[in-house]
Amino acid sequence: MSLQPIDLYGPARRARAKLALENVSKQFGEGADAVRALSPVDMVLCPGDFVCIVGPSGCGKSTLLNLVAGFERPSTGRLLLDGRDIDGPGSERGVVFQQGALFNWMTVLENVAFGPRAHGNRQARERAMHYLELVGLAGFAQRYPYELSGGMQQRVGIARALANEPEMLLMDEPFAALDQQNRELLQEEIKAIWRRTGKTVLWITHSIEESLFLATHVLVMTARPGAIKSAFQAEFSRSDDPFVSTTPAFAEAKRHILGLLREESLAARHQEIAS
Amino acid sequence: MNAKAETPIAAFRARRVRAGGGSSRRERMLYGGSCLSLVLAWLVLTGVAGLPPVVDPAFLPSPLDVGRAFMRLVDTGYQGHSLLYHFGISLFRFFAAFLFCLAVGIPLGLLMGVSGAMRAVFDPPIELTRPIPKLALLPLMIVWFGIGELSKILLIVAALFPIISISAMQAVRGVSIKRIQAAQSLGASRAIIFRRVLIPASLPGIFTGVRVALGVGVTMLVGAEMVATSEGIAWMALTASDFVQTDIVLVGVLIMAALGYSLDLACRYLEKRAVHWSGRE
Repeated sequence: MSLQPIDLYGPARRARAKLALENVSKQFGEGADAVRALSPVDMVLCPGDFVCIVGPSGCGKSTLLNLVAGFERPSTGRLLLDGRDIDGPGSERGVVFQQGALFNWMTVLENVAFGPRAHGNRQARERAMHYLELVGLAGFAQRYPYELSGGMQQRVGIARALANEPEMLLMDEPFAALDQQNRELLQEEIKAIWRRTGKTVLWITHSIEESLFLATHVLVMTARPGAIKSAFQAEFSRSDDPFVSTTPAFAEAKRHILGLLREESLAARHQEIAS
Repeated sequence: MNAKAETPIAAFRARRVRAGGGSSRRERMLYGGSCLSLVLAWLVLTGVAGLPPVVDPAFLPSPLDVGRAFMRLVDTGYQGHSLLYHFGISLFRFFAAFLFCLAVGIPLGLLMGVSGAMRAVFDPPIELTRPIPKLALLPLMIVWFGIGELSKILLIVAALFPIISISAMQAVRGVSIKRIQAAQSLGASRAIIFRRVLIPASLPGIFTGVRVALGVGVTMLVGAEMVATSEGIAWMALTASDFVQTDIVLVGVLIMAALGYSLDLACRYLEKRAVHWSGRE
């Protein structure tokens, strides 16, 4: 089987850590109203890792991403990027949202140039144009985001995050609102961009196929309060076959993760009924 | 975002978008017909084409009489001042108050939107005085600020300021958190986020408040010119009614209606140019 269980917090990985989460948990509210969103998590992302997190809805996977992005502070533990504490959002961690985060009052080009301009880069427009070409939208530079389709808007979001040349990309279900064809096309393009640039990626999704297709490591989370249930090393992202998802090995891996997720979805449902 | 027009509301919106946000030919015809029948009703009530008037002309003068009264006012003015002068005074009172509210109310509202401290300080004076009918303050305004222009302008300010500042505050607070987070993770400073994200994202909400304020402002103009003045279009209409000069009253009313309507049109035009993305998520 091409899924290998792996300890994401093993000493060999810790020695090469790009991003390290040590005992990170998150709780919203205080006292009796407190909601535990995330159980303590230990994990390490090494440079060039493409880590996909799958889990039942409401399991805290977006909370995990928000912590890494610096939008939220952990209730316990710490997050280290290159050995330094994360104490807020930073442009070395580019974020791509599911949808609706583009600036509708700016043209596509201005959206992508926003990051470089915020850093006082004089070549902001040239750089933005370069990344628009990379995502195939050079011809739409002067349009406004609301004039584009959902898939094109996500490409703008990706170009905008890349234009700051971040070391890490954080993607919060970026393709969840797209149709199947658009999603698959963008997945291939993201894979190509990732291979070319070697960025470290943390990707939240509820699609098992997406995670297997893209990731070097797949993480399965438990129901809320989310914890890491299992972690695997995956091989399919190395394949150049766009139809790798139709191979028996892929189906077997998918079946395995489906089984794990099913347990958690059932648990989540019991929680809902009980509360 | 790429939702298909499946629900009735989505289909309705799609139809509006297809028509360029405007209305269909049929709707325009109905609109014109409605306007025309209003004028026609006025003509019939006041006697048209030799028919006897249904209503005494002293109560409701015919459109022609109103037109004549308007020409007479243009020629000779009213009570010692030209019509243009009365109009100018009213415009001055209105715009002095309106522009002050824009220049102070919008920035203050924006700041209240981003800063909890600003909100804590300025929310009580604005929210607690908001339910007071501002017209009731007129006698106090005159006692406090005299019978000059200041008391009239401040009365209009008292009515418009809460509308404009609170709508600006709500607009900022309604900006999607994702957009702010996106800007933060792109490395934007607080100042850049305020200028390039929060302000533009708030513009649609600010425009809504300004348009409401325009309507209220014209109404408050009438209140401001009720006492302690002998100038202004509203004062002219109010004074003429004391002498049952209903044709002059109607000239005043129509001038104020035209003022309100053209201000709203101008605001809508500006809104369309400045906030092209409004409602197009």
